[in-house]
Amino acid sequence: MKKNSFYVSYLSIKGISSMIKVEGLVKYYGKVKAVDGVSFEIKSGEIFGLLGPNGAGKTTIVKILTTLTKPDAGRCFINGFNVIEKAYEIKKLIGVVPQENNLDRDLTVYENLFVYGKLHKTSQLKEKIKNLLETVGLWERKDALVSKLSGGMQRRLLLARALLSDPKVLFLDEPSIGLDPQIRRHLWEIIKRIKNQGKTVFLTTHYIEEAEALCDKVGILSKGRLIALGTPSELKQSAGLFTVEYIDKEGRLKLWTFKTKDEAYEFAKKNELPLIIRETNLEDIFIKLTGERIE
Amino acid sequence: MMDWYPVFLRELLIFRRRLLKFGYLLSAMMLPIIYFIVFGLGLGRMVQMEGKSYLSFLIPGLVAMTSMTNSYTWIANSINLNRLYFKTFQVLYLAPISYSAIIIGEVLAGMLKGLLAASLIIVVGFLSYPNFGLSLPFLLALFLNCFLFASLGFCVGMSAKGHEETATYFNFFILPMGFFCGTFFPIERIPDFLKPVVFVLPLTYTNILIRKETFDTLALGCVLVLVFYSVILFGLGFRVIKNYSE
Repeated sequence: MKKNSFYVSYLSIKGISSMIKVEGLVKYYGKVKAVDGVSFEIKSGEIFGLLGPNGAGKTTIVKILTTLTKPDAGRCFINGFNVIEKAYEIKKLIGVVPQENNLDRDLTVYENLFVYGKLHKTSQLKEKIKNLLETVGLWERKDALVSKLSGGMQRRLLLARALLSDPKVLFLDEPSIGLDPQIRRHLWEIIKRIKNQGKTVFLTTHYIEEAEALCDKVGILSKGRLIALGTPSELKQSAGLFTVEYIDKEGRLKLWTFKTKDEAYEFAKKNELPLIIRETNLEDIFIKLTGERIE
Repeated sequence: MMDWYPVFLRELLIFRRRLLKFGYLLSAMMLPIIYFIVFGLGLGRMVQMEGKSYLSFLIPGLVAMTSMTNSYTWIANSINLNRLYFKTFQVLYLAPISYSAIIIGEVLAGMLKGLLAASLIIVVGFLSYPNFGLSLPFLLALFLNCFLFASLGFCVGMSAKGHEETATYFNFFILPMGFFCGTFFPIERIPDFLKPVVFVLPLTYTNILIRKETFDTLALGCVLVLVFYSVILFGLGFRVIKNYSE
């Protein structure tokens, strides 16, 4: 208790209000620079989305922040703790849903959560397991072997497992990968409820709709570099709220963005081509910045 | 203090389910049983060892070999596959427990599997050889052997870059050790040029200790060597997991 109050006052003196702080992060795999000088801050209670194509370095950043990978340069802090030096404290703060369904396939749904709860010294474990399995709609399947569950059920079980230790920060690496749209929306509802409980959520995704539907703040990652950072509306505003889209005879996509609808109409009128005028989305920003598509 | 328990519990739950699957135990026991039949019941009938039957020499050796392979194989394979393919090792790594808790839990699970396999050979020993008995040096040798090779399995599972690599370690290290280090014939009979190699390998000392009735000087020397190897391998395992980075 004493340590906690000291810690809080230390944070307030330092003026630290961010839950996650990343400064100049660099990670090499061999000669490939997987993460190239990434910096950002996430406030407590925010949903932050790291958006980018496969291979952009999203998972590497998650692995560094969750203590699984050691960076080559840079620093990161969660709740004021240095991730490299205070791995034990970090592990007590976080819950992780990785990209792979890393459940024990030979154990039942219940056993998977029970072992996890014991590993994290979770109190009132049995009640918490029941509540969480009900939340994700798996209580009826508690005695089923994980190997008998569908992919969607396994993703939901992973989420329940990550929440079992009541983490302050939840990491979701491509949470809805491979899920059909209906289940994906159900998952989004659960993630929004998690935010409402005051937790900070860090998610990676290459689905534009996911980032737009969920995130308070978005970082766009390309080839290891953070090329844009802000709220979805800030990013759209700076790029131009309206997009004119044209696909040429070879199937190549061309985009122009405009501040107002009138400007977009004006432009479209001048060009006698089959153009589409619509609101700008996050992928348009990615295309504008990199010349490539995300998905 | 009991942080290792959930790590151990997880392995135990998985092991229990595997045991129920037909064929698991059979495949774990296949080799020692074949050796027992071929060398013990077949060739062994023609051999006398210092006035005693060959079986009384062979069975402790098979106990040492079986406990070695079972303690080693399960841990090396499960750590390696869980780390590289199923990614369930990461669940243990991300838990707020000490690194030593992870090694202790895994090594104890490996020891349990080694002890279980060894106890089946011991049962065969009691059934086939009426004077078969368990001395204190025998039990200590078995215990240390399981600990040592489970720790080695942990180091290999953590360092090997794939399933083939753990198999290579097994074929070039564990399997020859089973044949040359006194399982089937006394170490004194080994050609002189191989002796320096044999006396570096830990199973040699298990095989000497496991056949001792009392703790004489040689037995105590073997205990020291086995403890030395155990400490080194456990420490190595700790270092590997402490410096772990994907």
